[in-house]
Amino acid sequence: MSAEVKTPFVRLAKRDSMDPKKVWAIRLSSILVALILGMIPIMITGQNPFTAYGIIINGSLGKPIYIKQTIKIAIPLLGCALAIAPCFKMRFWNIGAEGQITAGAIAASYFALYWSDKVPSFVLILIMFVTAAIAGGIWGLIPAFFKAKWNTNETLFTLMMNYIIIGIVSWLQGGPWEGRKGSQLIPMFNQSARLPEIFGIHCGWIIVLLLVVLMHIYMNYTKHGYEIAVIGDSENTARYAGMNVGKIMMRTMFLSGAICGVVGFIVVSGANHTLNNGVANGVGFTSITVAWLSQLNAFAMIVISLILAILTKGANTLQTRLKVPASISDIVTGILLFCMLSCEFFINYKLIFRHGKSEEEASK
Amino acid sequence: MKKFTVLLMVMLMTVSMVFANGTTEAAPAKSEAIKVGLICIGDENDQGYTYNFIRGQKEATEKLAAEGINVEWVTKYNIGEDSTCVDANIEVAEEDCKIIFNNSYGFEPFMLEVAPNYPNIDFVSCTNCVSSHDALPNTFNAFANIYEGRYVAGVVAGLKLNQMISEGKITADKAVIGYVGAFSFAEVISGFTSYYLGAKSVCPSVTMKVSFVGSWSDATAEADAAKALADQGCVMISQHSDNTTPATAAQSAGIFHTGYNNDMTSVAPNASLISTRIDWSVYFYEFIKAFVAGEKLDQDWCKGMEDDAVKMTELNTAIAAPGTQAKMDQVIADISSGKIQVFDTSKFTVKGATVTHAFARDTNGDFAADTDEAVFDGAYHESYFQSAPYFTEQIDGITWLNAAY
Repeated sequence: MSAEVKTPFVRLAKRDSMDPKKVWAIRLSSILVALILGMIPIMITGQNPFTAYGIIINGSLGKPIYIKQTIKIAIPLLGCALAIAPCFKMRFWNIGAEGQITAGAIAASYFALYWSDKVPSFVLILIMFVTAAIAGGIWGLIPAFFKAKWNTNETLFTLMMNYIIIGIVSWLQGGPWEGRKGSQLIPMFNQSARLPEIFGIHCGWIIVLLLVVLMHIYMNYTKHGYEIAVIGDSENTARYAGMNVGKIMMRTMFLSGAICGVVGFIVVSGANHTLNNGVANGVGFTSITVAWLSQLNAFAMIVISLILAILTKGANTLQTRLKVPASISDIVTGILLFCMLSCEFFINYKLIFRHGKSEEEASK
Repeated sequence: MKKFTVLLMVMLMTVSMVFANGTTEAAPAKSEAIKVGLICIGDENDQGYTYNFIRGQKEATEKLAAEGINVEWVTKYNIGEDSTCVDANIEVAEEDCKIIFNNSYGFEPFMLEVAPNYPNIDFVSCTNCVSSHDALPNTFNAFANIYEGRYVAGVVAGLKLNQMISEGKITADKAVIGYVGAFSFAEVISGFTSYYLGAKSVCPSVTMKVSFVGSWSDATAEADAAKALADQGCVMISQHSDNTTPATAAQSAGIFHTGYNNDMTSVAPNASLISTRIDWSVYFYEFIKAFVAGEKLDQDWCKGMEDDAVKMTELNTAIAAPGTQAKMDQVIADISSGKIQVFDTSKFTVKGATVTHAFARDTNGDFAADTDEAVFDGAYHESYFQSAPYFTEQIDGITWLNAAY
């Protein structure tokens, strides 16, 4: 009897497995709950939430140009989510994607600004691509090296590296690369340093879609991918199996940083056509959400990054048409992400209530 | 499980309503109002730069409405000087705006990426200088002769310094002005030089120290710079930055202040003497009116005090020196009539020598001026060849404390 009194009102229990249909039903309903909760802040601003949701969809997908804009937002998100996926699989918390993007952007920008009249466009873009990957890779390799050698905390290390590289861009903006004196603006790239467009969108989308396939193969069908998975599950098992954990960490972080660097190249060469200290624009952080929501599945990342892009683009239109503060749509996005992430909790755990009849009955 | 299914169904229905409703209500057709876009770097809460544009927007709308022209504004706030500015311009263009004003200098390169795709829309870059002479007929620049207002504010400051000297509070050689500037950028240099020349026109012994903060808007850095200037013996503070903190810093240091963009007497009643600002309603009004009439303004627009495009806020008579208002009115009249040339080359020297030559504009894209002689008829002609300021001389009497920015 006494044991029964101490039973808490709600208990958690890990689920063994769940019917995939039910898993998807939970995921879908979490989105619906989010949409319903999201109505609250919209109604607080005195707007009709149905109109608002309509505008979000219309503003992101309503016209061909809107769709192009939306895809433009999704490209760096997808690319960067792909980049951090192997790190996260390895349980190496790389939150320095922001900085690795910026490092790649700096390298690409250097060649865009100073080599555009020296080499033909195709070669220039190839150089920008490769140097951006190397720069991003090195920026990712540094914290991995310290982690491998002295077991430093990679979360703090990668985060701090962001501020350094962003500071470097600020210096370039006001110093050696500045255009008109005092303007704090780096000049726009020449046409030859810009990514060509395919179907009206810079061809960065082809690069990231290729990366999706490559990353999927890398993670699931290669020795490297297997090693990453083993380290993620248990570092000791990996050591026992004779894997060089430090080496694999550095290799994976170089790869991750390199892909981030390529994203940086895509952003400056395809979208911004110049460099500024906001080049990463939070993508390095938002893509963490994309990676988690897709459970590190490369193909799911396409969908998730598009959903986030739709919300972002739609939110802009929402602000334009309904004159609500842009932060309202940020709140809606936040609610959506929160619900989607927390639904994974209900997929993995079940709640058992104290007055759950089955148990009570059984004990009597 | 049954409950769960029911719940799911209800939610599904709710959501289907969302989409059913939403798409029909999108893109409403309005009456014959002309749609005009305004893209802002900040929002009204800055009480400075963007606030001043919103104020102009409202006043222009009222003036035009009185003439039967209804304007429907599509305003974007807090847009960055990066590709989000491209997105904002596309967004506003797709909302069927006929004119799009970009309020920040750094928006221009991004605006120019969008403008060629919308030849029927007029794109205006306020305060920058490429649109006026590029190949596109639908891109425009605009600025106002803010240096005239700065000069007048300088006169107000100079009279106050004279009062302090005559009352024995400071000696003539201690008449030092501290200036909080954003960057060592032509617009800022032109502004503080004209301000200094205004003060010097009434108080010959005045000198000035300029501290650059490295940001257009950083409330804390601006306050710190103002405090540091006060500690270095400055008895008057002025600013070219977006916040009111230099005014409050001046007040707590027990010294005086003149402002920019907005009346700052409410936040620093014991320090702030007067402010000067650009009245953007003049330009907005002229541009939209001309557009409706099927005409186009000059691709490079610049007007000054004569046309009320540059204004002074109300003088803080409680602390201003006696007779300031009368002197101000006279100076404004003389500037408007051309009797006073703000950058009169007989009134200032650079390294001890009179300035006899300076180019105004850059035409080959290396960001160094190479065309149009700005010095003639005994004055440096600011905002004469292009609306955006181009005065960058470091004149004697002004010390740059940190030119790194």
